[in-house]
Amino acid sequence: MNPVSHENTKIRVTDLSFFYREREVLKKVNVGFAESKITALIGPSGAGKSTFLITLNRLWESIPEARMTGKVEIKFSGMYRDIYEKSFPLPTLRRRVGMVFQTPNPLPMSIYRNVAFPLKLAGEKDRKIISQKVEEALDRAYLWDEVKDRLNEDAINLSGGQQQRLCIARALVMEPEVLLLDEPTSSLDDSAGRVIEDLILSLKEKLTILVVSHYLEQVKRLADKSIRFSEGSVIN
Amino acid sequence: MSPTREYLYEKGFLFSAILSGSIVFLIFAFMLIMGLPLFKGNQVVALIKNDWLPARGVYGIYPMVVATLAISFFSLALAFPLSLGCAFFSGSIAPPRIARVFRKMIQIMTGIPTVIYGFVGIFLLVPIVREFTTSTSGLCIFSASLMLGIMISPTLILFFTDSLEAVPKSFLDAADALGATRVQKLLYVMVPQAKKGILAGLILALGRALGDTMVALMIAGNAARVPESLFDAARTLTAHIALVIAADYESFEFRSIFACGLVLYAFIALMVLGVRWIGMTNKR
Repeated sequence: MNPVSHENTKIRVTDLSFFYREREVLKKVNVGFAESKITALIGPSGAGKSTFLITLNRLWESIPEARMTGKVEIKFSGMYRDIYEKSFPLPTLRRRVGMVFQTPNPLPMSIYRNVAFPLKLAGEKDRKIISQKVEEALDRAYLWDEVKDRLNEDAINLSGGQQQRLCIARALVMEPEVLLLDEPTSSLDDSAGRVIEDLILSLKEKLTILVVSHYLEQVKRLADKSIRFSEGSVIN
Repeated sequence: MSPTREYLYEKGFLFSAILSGSIVFLIFAFMLIMGLPLFKGNQVVALIKNDWLPARGVYGIYPMVVATLAISFFSLALAFPLSLGCAFFSGSIAPPRIARVFRKMIQIMTGIPTVIYGFVGIFLLVPIVREFTTSTSGLCIFSASLMLGIMISPTLILFFTDSLEAVPKSFLDAADALGATRVQKLLYVMVPQAKKGILAGLILALGRALGDTMVALMIAGNAARVPESLFDAARTLTAHIALVIAADYESFEFRSIFACGLVLYAFIALMVLGVRWIGMTNKR
């Protein structure tokens, strides 16, 4: 039995090492993450937190000269799946493991089309279903009331905090099981950051959430558990 | 650096800028002055509207205008999809290492003199066209368009890949993280962003096709009459200038090349204005 695995473990990571060119960014990381909990990844800059996050949705694969060893398994419908297995389709993984970046990155299109974008990628054609899911996602992201009358406006017109909530809505629209947040409030002012924190707390019932954070106060408010990174290793 | 040297350098640079900038106007003025006799009466209109029948004393350049537009248009029609495919491949689908090699090759291609393209056209393409089409000599609009299309492709490809690469990384990250496949990312995120660059590249390449002399001169057949099919021989404005330049300086025949020059100048100016206009709308 894996030492990091318990009955409610959603993600288990075994002997994960990550290299960028010759530099070892992550060193044999063994760690597990509990289902429907918020886990904070903390530690100094450059300790490998953000890199660790993108090994869970394979986003690092587009980085030239990067390489990874080890195993990442995520429990989907009761069964652990090795996400690096050849037979595991990348689009499926990314629909089930959503990600929100440090700086809000809405696409250059309307608010509505931003949230509908993942549905379009997944091949959803039914307009009724799309508009219903967009509304749901915006509602879950605390944004619906603010944007319901301006859905066709360019997303770039939203404030920073609204843009970040839009990005969360966009990540939620495919109903992922895991949500990765890379310092989601660091580009926002305090009050906008607080709204996002409340929103993250409201999501944890249905989602396993990993959040990279630099703010101790935020970690206290949000996290059920925190994991400290130092020089590419996890310190217990 | 001493103030005097600083001053000299500055003036030197200013001089280079003024000189190269004014050449554009000088050339235009030169053509206008040399072609001025044409503007007396209705000569210029007649020149552009009439056929080229030297035996009857009619020196119209209409056939050349038609041929130039036809060859430029068809070469672009051939080069555009080809280049778009290449740019999509090297700008998004291909592994980075292969994309780099591919790009180097394309850059070399842009440096090949056009006479080489003409040469290759005559020996490789023209015989095939002669064999398989209604064209008797193989020297025709189709051959010239095909060769010219190959010639302008590298310019198009480089322009397209540049505009694809200019798409902000945050957009690409967003698309990747949302589960877009490479083709989806390309079509839904990169292409809409690169649209204006693609259009600007198209216009510039059309300018190149309009202005090229060698390929058309060598493989379009140079017949000075209005072409009726793709497989007819035809003469472009540029080829016409090159062919007639040896005629008597005072002859009407010779003067027609200024009309050709002015028409070409007008075409190219329109293209450049088009690019400017796109650039301006780009900034919003």
